[in-house]
Amino acid sequence: MHKAVQTPDRLGIRLTGRGGQGIILSGVIIAQAAMYDGRFVVHTQSYGPEARLGASKSEVMISRWEIAFPEVVLADILLCLSLDAYLKYGSQVASNSLSVIDDLIGITAPAPGQVILPLRRTARDLGNELSANIVGLGALVAITELVEVHHVQQAIKERVKPEFSEVNLKAFTRGLELGEQWHASA
Amino acid sequence: MRLVQGNEAVVLGALAAGCNFYAGYPITPATEIMEQMARMLPGRGGVFIQMEDELAALGAVIGATWGGMRAMTATSGPGFSLMQEHIGYAAMTQTPCVVVDSQRIGPSTGQPTMPAQGDVMQARWGSHGDRPAIVVTASSVKDVYDMTQQSFTWAFTYRLPVVLLLDAVLSHMRENIELPAVSPPSLPTSADSADSEDPYKPFGNHPFVPFSANTRTIVSGLAHDETGNTRGAVGPASEQILRDSLSHLDEDYQKITRHRNYRLEDAQWLIISYGITARAARAAVDILRESGVRAGLLELMTLWPFPELIVKSIARHVQGILLPELNLGQLVLPLRAAVGGLCPVAGLGRADGELFTPEAIAQAMISHSRKIERRVSHHA
Amino acid sequence: MPNVGNDLHPYLRHQMMPTVWCPGCGHGNIARAIATSLERLELDLGHVVVLGGIGCSGRTPFYFNTNAMHTTHGRVLAFATGLKLANPSLTVIVAMGDGDALAIGAGHFIHAARRNIDLTVVLYNNSIYGMTGGQQAPTTPRSFRSTTSPFGGIEPAFDAVDLALAAGATYVARTTTFDFAEMPEYISGGIRHPGFAMIEILSQCPTYFGRLNQLGDAPEMIEYQRNHTVMAGDESQIGRDDLLGNLPVGIFRQEIRPEYTHQYAELSQAQGGDYRA
Repeated sequence: MHKAVQTPDRLGIRLTGRGGQGIILSGVIIAQAAMYDGRFVVHTQSYGPEARLGASKSEVMISRWEIAFPEVVLADILLCLSLDAYLKYGSQVASNSLSVIDDLIGITAPAPGQVILPLRRTARDLGNELSANIVGLGALVAITELVEVHHVQQAIKERVKPEFSEVNLKAFTRGLELGEQWHASA
Repeated sequence: MRLVQGNEAVVLGALAAGCNFYAGYPITPATEIMEQMARMLPGRGGVFIQMEDELAALGAVIGATWGGMRAMTATSGPGFSLMQEHIGYAAMTQTPCVVVDSQRIGPSTGQPTMPAQGDVMQARWGSHGDRPAIVVTASSVKDVYDMTQQSFTWAFTYRLPVVLLLDAVLSHMRENIELPAVSPPSLPTSADSADSEDPYKPFGNHPFVPFSANTRTIVSGLAHDETGNTRGAVGPASEQILRDSLSHLDEDYQKITRHRNYRLEDAQWLIISYGITARAARAAVDILRESGVRAGLLELMTLWPFPELIVKSIARHVQGILLPELNLGQLVLPLRAAVGGLCPVAGLGRADGELFTPEAIAQAMISHSRKIERRVSHHA
Repeated sequence: MPNVGNDLHPYLRHQMMPTVWCPGCGHGNIARAIATSLERLELDLGHVVVLGGIGCSGRTPFYFNTNAMHTTHGRVLAFATGLKLANPSLTVIVAMGDGDALAIGAGHFIHAARRNIDLTVVLYNNSIYGMTGGQQAPTTPRSFRSTTSPFGGIEPAFDAVDLALAAGATYVARTTTFDFAEMPEYISGGIRHPGFAMIEILSQCPTYFGRLNQLGDAPEMIEYQRNHTVMAGDESQIGRDDLLGNLPVGIFRQEIRPEYTHQYAELSQAQGGDYRA
């Protein structure tokens, strides 16, 4: 595990994908969980003009101290759910960073720090590919332990509409399992 | 502790200030303010209405204020441009109201989702003619809450439209903040109105009194005297009202000016910044200090009236000033005028839709300081 | 203002007299009809607000002994909407010119009508821009002259009644300054009507419209109005080409549909709010 994640005094997380994949929501959930952990957090978002399918980016700064500059320049942690997002943000990472990348993007020779996982396929198996963001969140949390698991679960319950709460909690659990399997195999 | 978005903080701050009327028109990146007002106001007995354009939105706000409500609207650049006509009307009629402008890259449609600070001059001078103006800004979600609340107080104290400038990043940014428990202030009512025996003066240096059964106020954008009379040679009386309003702001300059100092005590190199850019500037100060440059930050939270005195008093003690802003040189103009020859002032601007990084500001400060030091050694 | 009887004095703000209107202008007759309506309906002046836009008609609010707003060109209905929502117990009367309502403020006009908010619009239509010196209005009939259509206009005129009907106004009427009895009748009907009311009144502008089109002085222009209008319903006589033909006058629509402030009150109360219309 790299240093930044082990001692997260100040951590920049970037979640990327296409509009409609719930990128912004997953950032809000991480930020809220980190808040429950007692950290200072800043969540920022950016998106193109299209509500769907445009490149979407959501960033969370987590720190023990007040955060000055709110945006992530080089990410310590990256989640990537689409090819275009990978091409745009895949290399804008800090040294010692960790990237969780969906396997459907098709990266055959991952660089050090890149973890390729079946996020969208797992979400599809759960019945809704749109929960890939939450599967990814689970994987990130299991691999990096950046926030407390039960705080993420609490944030999901608060930020997701009640009728989608269960499916998202299930997606989160599946993501955790993916992360733990990776740990076991690594 | 709550995770609150910038636009949501506008709504929470406004409600805490007793805002009970919102009229607006959808526009990125301000729309969430309107959407939340649409949810919050009806159940509180307040009024929400979506108007047909931004001109109508501010018109309805002004009408509602004379009807006795605390009213606001929010928009972004293109809508703010349209609102200028009624900002002038609100100024001329001394109608208290709050206008939030979440700045995006312009001119024209520009980049709707990208941050800017290009409306600083329009917020001060956008309407034709002279007018008093209070323009405030914010650099954090907590600031947004506080400054929205403060804007209502000032709108009613000084009887003018107060403009709160945000930007696309701050509007959509979420931070964890502690919200104070507040009880909404009491609204001005017709009971406060001057008794009918007095020569009734609805304008000039008198408190705002909305329409009531006891008043017979004429509100007009035409030049008028303190009674609202528009006939005859009212030019001098109208100018006097304007001069009095401007003097009132001058007299209360200390009360109105809000700023934040960061590592200023022994600073030789001063960064002046405001809004979202001040966040990067603060980080830039740390970077500069780490590399041995004695830098400090003056963050301005009120832009107009321009905080000339505070700027001057600090400028006396530093060797150079840098003002980064997300436009191609706006607030740097009154800054240069205020600093005069006290020390060299450099502007740093960008209008491409991206924020300045702390490193870019630090680098610009170093370049500025080197230039000045070269000049000094050359003269020595 | 001609022939102001003693009974109307309490309704008027005498310190603002005389009015800005030219000798022979029809606007004074319309303002008188508004005052007559207030008197007939025995309205408490403390609960009436008269608003106006910009132009000759826009000066109307100055002459009433009520709270009043003289607003911006074309946008008076936005102010009136905010005011009415802030205090639904008010009787809100809005004076608009033809340029106000049908050119610069047409967008506001149709949306206020669509919402069916309880405002009474009195549309002073003199077929020209008077205040600025006789320029072409959206109501200037085709081939008529103005200072900006010196060779005769080539644009068809807007029909305010058609527009109001299409936009959803629930009380729509038209008359002329010749119809001295109908003016206050229609205006009081509009004020009583619980919804958006639009009363268009054809007014004479001898100074510009009359002079530029050789229509004579006020009496001849009023005569012209009489000869070029027919009662609505008498379809055989109705010409659709504005003042050139036989323009229908009368009450075109008077029907009850949900009113905006009442609907808002229902919505507010359903959400636990205490807004009352």
